[in-house]
Amino acid sequence: MKKSIKKFAAALMAAAALILPFQGIACSAENSDTELVVGFDAEFPPYGYKDDNGEYVGFDLDLAQEVCNRNGWTLKKQPIEWNSKDMELNSGSIDCIWNGFTMNGRESEYTWSTPYVDNSQVVIVRSDSGIEELSDMSGKIVAVQSDSSALAALEGEDASEENKALRETFAELQQVGDYNSAFLNLESGAVDAICMDIGVAGYEIKSRGDGYVMLEERLSSEEYGIGFRLGNTELRDEVQTALLEMLADGTFDEIAAKWGLEDSVCLSADDQYADEEADGSADSVSGSSKEEKSFWEKAADISKQLSKGLLASLSIFLLTLLFSLPLGLLITAGRMCRIKPVQWLAKLYISIVRGTPLMLQLLVVFFGPHFLFGVSTSPSYRFYAVIIGFSLNYAAYFAEIYRSGIQAVPKGQYEASAVLGYSRAQTFFKIVFPQMVKNIIPSVTNEFITLVKDTSLAFAVSYTEMFTIAKQVAAAQTTIMPLFIAGVFYYIFNFLVAFIMERIEKKMNYYR
Amino acid sequence: MNLLEVKNISKSFGDLQVLKDISLSVSESEVISILGPSGSGKSTFLRCLSMLEQIDGGSISYCGEEAVSSANGYPVYAGKKKLREIQGTFGLVFQNFNLFPHYSVLKNIWDAPVHVQKRNKSEVMTEAKELLDKMGLGDKGDYYPYQLSGGQQQRAAIARALAMKPKMLFFDEPTSALDPELTAEILKVLKELAAEKMTMVIVTHEIEFARSVSDRVVFMDGGVIVEQGSPKDVIDNPKNERTKTFLRKMQAEE
Ligand SMILES: Nc1ncnc2c1ncn2[C@@H]1O[C@H](COP(=O)(O)OP(=O)(O)O)[C@@H](O)[C@H]1O
Ligand SMILES: [Mg+2]
Repeated sequence: MKKSIKKFAAALMAAAALILPFQGIACSAENSDTELVVGFDAEFPPYGYKDDNGEYVGFDLDLAQEVCNRNGWTLKKQPIEWNSKDMELNSGSIDCIWNGFTMNGRESEYTWSTPYVDNSQVVIVRSDSGIEELSDMSGKIVAVQSDSSALAALEGEDASEENKALRETFAELQQVGDYNSAFLNLESGAVDAICMDIGVAGYEIKSRGDGYVMLEERLSSEEYGIGFRLGNTELRDEVQTALLEMLADGTFDEIAAKWGLEDSVCLSADDQYADEEADGSADSVSGSSKEEKSFWEKAADISKQLSKGLLASLSIFLLTLLFSLPLGLLITAGRMCRIKPVQWLAKLYISIVRGTPLMLQLLVVFFGPHFLFGVSTSPSYRFYAVIIGFSLNYAAYFAEIYRSGIQAVPKGQYEASAVLGYSRAQTFFKIVFPQMVKNIIPSVTNEFITLVKDTSLAFAVSYTEMFTIAKQVAAAQTTIMPLFIAGVFYYIFNFLVAFIMERIEKKMNYYR
Repeated sequence: MNLLEVKNISKSFGDLQVLKDISLSVSESEVISILGPSGSGKSTFLRCLSMLEQIDGGSISYCGEEAVSSANGYPVYAGKKKLREIQGTFGLVFQNFNLFPHYSVLKNIWDAPVHVQKRNKSEVMTEAKELLDKMGLGDKGDYYPYQLSGGQQQRAAIARALAMKPKMLFFDEPTSALDPELTAEILKVLKELAAEKMTMVIVTHEIEFARSVSDRVVFMDGGVIVEQGSPKDVIDNPKNERTKTFLRKMQAEE
């Protein structure tokens, strides 16, 4: 059963190229003796991140560089989308994940180096929050990075009973894409606390100044290792050997000191590899409960999880239309207004909205109130921000569609209305508007379909709609199936939209 | 009292002066045909009369009510309310009908009387059906304009204008968009209206029709009225060179 799933997953790898951002599938396995492609989350200081000069730097990248130097390899630093790390690794577009990568709970999923950093999960709060110990977090909204070790520590399969109980006291556990947005959320008041790795926490607090404190109490302890594709022991051994050399001659500790991690590192020549240690147990685990499920059962499970996200996507879709369709009409009115300044304002609005990415607009709507006006945002604002952002954006597009639809109504219609004595409002609503609606249905259908797909952009403000869930499930289960099923869901969604619009178009064909 | 009194109106589009100091009086039940080469300003004149264009100078009165008066050589339009009242005294029939495509033929006819003139709907409906019968479209009320021939559409448009109970009707080349065989059915309708003493100003290229139906023929060229009088005088014995040239050309075409 396991094999057939693997085969299926492998077959879908090709499809991944279509679904995922293209990450240069140049197969690095062939030239692995000359190039080491290290995958890392570029927003995870001090292990790997973009510095002020735009260079990728960090403790792990320095280690990787040194290992490459010693083996005569060139290092390629490949920033990856964290949720897609397994697809990156399995497809061969990266050789290893080397990025403060927690081993605990993932022992059997990768071929690991020995642990080199001992890390704990800690809690960060605003200094003025009044939260002093873990028990104070009851009823609070807590952020974690999706698929992070903090998330695993709180509600993963291997989470301790203590941590699971703690998580139960939270009002909500909000998953965010990266730590930067976690801190933006914390500062703006959208969340009350962040759980994260101690090494990262120390760095973040140091670089972000006084506003934050770390609770004394810790969640759990865990270790970092370098993750290689399952079975790629050859490469692992080469890297491990170089690391141990560096440990012996002091280079390793030097690099650790450079990044302020001298208290966290734990590399030791005596450690055994995790896969050898855990061989028996890992197999028995995968042989029993986990892999028991058939392909269809798995698909059904995933669909169930996705359907929650589908509901979220659907509500974004419907609410956006509810607000943007009338708002667009208002903007068209401004755009076609005879008062010049009103016209310019509408024009400027349309040009800005169409000229900037929707994702950026969502970020501005969500974080803007706090960072521009100092208003602290309530957690429920996240969903409102998504709807506001989408509505403002789509209204601009609809406005232009309306305008072209109105301009396509012949001048004679206005003249006939004027001679018959219709008022301006009557002329618009009785004569022009219905004809405009018929004119624009094909373009509007296009926008609807684009909107269905655009709902996935809500991830920018960490609103969990279907695609976000698909990526999370894909990351957690290390298969591409959730993405594929999400694709099917989007297709069905759009198929229905197209079907309904076609019916409406036919209905409007009672006249020509 | 004259139903329509136009005094010294002028109209320019940018630098192009299209109407130059035109005056015309139309008395009750009079049928006036306007002839003239294309580009001479006939449509612009009718559009000014229908208040689709604003004039640059002069005055216009309908049934003794001044819609535009002249003050120091500048035109002054009456207030909104008065203009609305005046609007109801005339109707305009377009060259290309301009029926509302999303309304049935019947709704095209009853909608404005009900929603603009606020008349009783059932009364209007009865009248609308009578009008359709009169136009020979009794069975087409539920059709949409695209389902009708050009001649039928123009008859529906005339019915739409008549439903407003106007005192006078303006026609801008009502047959120019139609095939010759369809032209005849429209001219027949116009003749019937003339027999019923409808006051009409008709821009047309149908010389024979103008001769037989008009009380007065007006010949326009270059934005001015070159010559006017009875059909006999203007069509059969034109005095002005430009009228003669125009008529010769028209007759050569026929
Ligand atoms: N809206 C307008 N803008 C500019 N020029 C116009 C406009 N309407 C008509 N004209 C010009 O005015 C002149 C008279 O046009 P028109 O009244 O349509 O003549 P006719 O109906 O006698 O053929 C033409 O030269 C035409 O190009
Ligand atoms: Mg004309």
